[in-house]
Amino acid sequence: MILPKLEYKKAQNISDAIAFYESTNGQVRYLAGGTDLIPLVKLRLSTPKAIIDLKGIEELKAISRRRGWLAIGANVTLFELKNNLMVREYFPALYKSLDVTSCETLQMRGTIGGNILQDTRCLFYNKSLEWRTARGLCLKMGGEKCNVVPNAKTCFSNYCSDNALSLVALSASVRLVGPQGERKIKLEKIFSGDGRYPFTLAPGEILAEILIPAQRSKGAYEKLRVRDSIDYPLLGVAASIKENNGKVSVGGIGSAPLVYNLKNLNDRTFKEVAEKASAHAKPVSNTTLSPAYRKKMVGVLVQRAIKKALMEGK
Amino acid sequence: MKTTKVTFHVNDEKVTLKVKPYETLLETLRERLDLTGVKEACSMGACGACTVIVNGIPLRSCLVLTPEVDGTSINTIEGIGKEGNLHPLQEAFMEKGAVQCGFCTSGMILTAKALLDRNKKPTKKEIVKTISSNICRCTGYKKIVEAVEAAGKKKAVKSNA
Repeated sequence: MILPKLEYKKAQNISDAIAFYESTNGQVRYLAGGTDLIPLVKLRLSTPKAIIDLKGIEELKAISRRRGWLAIGANVTLFELKNNLMVREYFPALYKSLDVTSCETLQMRGTIGGNILQDTRCLFYNKSLEWRTARGLCLKMGGEKCNVVPNAKTCFSNYCSDNALSLVALSASVRLVGPQGERKIKLEKIFSGDGRYPFTLAPGEILAEILIPAQRSKGAYEKLRVRDSIDYPLLGVAASIKENNGKVSVGGIGSAPLVYNLKNLNDRTFKEVAEKASAHAKPVSNTTLSPAYRKKMVGVLVQRAIKKALMEGK
Repeated sequence: MKTTKVTFHVNDEKVTLKVKPYETLLETLRERLDLTGVKEACSMGACGACTVIVNGIPLRSCLVLTPEVDGTSINTIEGIGKEGNLHPLQEAFMEKGAVQCGFCTSGMILTAKALLDRNKKPTKKEIVKTISSNICRCTGYKKIVEAVEAAGKKKAVKSNA
């Protein structure tokens, strides 16, 4: 499929990228690995005038330990991060979600920042322009009605990052740099909950770093998928536990992950969390498995993830 | 629209081209350099038919803008072996009958080559995992995995000789 006409600019540093963003009235997209963005542009779901390549920015490629955090540059590839020893030893939930993300070749190209900021997906959205126009534009395309849920007021497209779930379970934060300066927020705060505009990032903001508290944890990641390679999660559950407390994060259903704290873990408490998550999850008919099955699997995978996390090292 | 000048090595040959900024590497390799062993199938980064090796890493060329690969070294299927002196993977694919329609083959071989280059003795599990990056719609995966296993052994013998 042919790309539309656009300019290409390679940024040398973050301020260079932001300056270019500002000079074009925001009609540009930042490019990292391109495994999410290029298909979106090919399908005309994103129509930038220019693309700013961030791959040349050295400071976005580093992994370093500082002041109680592991700081991961947004342009570190998923494959490189998976092979990082500290990730393997300290953050098993993240290691496992990285390992099951898409496939090896795409892990070598895709970056952790791009993986977190990937657009939400829907069976009726990620289609060719001709298909979409024939069907009628949906809410996420700027149309009047949802093509999945009649009379829906909001968009139910699914957020399909595996690694954002494990990072949320690990209480990660992100450092954002934009035209208005720099800020650090909790990762779960970047989700708006509205599938039309899934992120709360300000225009022109760049995700520079992901920061994880550098404490050892036990963890697991469970992914519901049909091919076991290349595919997106139809449901993903990450659990991360430190001593007797932890967090569970559920994604792949709806435009933002669900997050639950785990306190004083025992058989009863984690069944409660599983039931709560299953009740909260609102799957709709916008992917390949039925909503009823996915809803049921939320409870199953939450319990499985917590059990596996607890079993780790035993 | 303004063109961009890019220079890179393809199969050890230096190439300088003026390309459109929105041209994909797949288009450049096929249409400008006649390297039609690079196949276009899904064009969305899902199938792996357009895989080439860029700086040692397998890459889906349909997802890459040509200006992004300025200064790199690229290997395509045309560059990994010559008639009479084929790459062990090419030999093994023929010997094991790992080719049906042949459309996924160049991507499969290059993905496997990148694996054998970084891991001299991959286990069957590792091979399956790597090969799962590519789709074969004839579903001839079993023979492909066998061929990669055989090529790994062959390569080990060759490098010990």
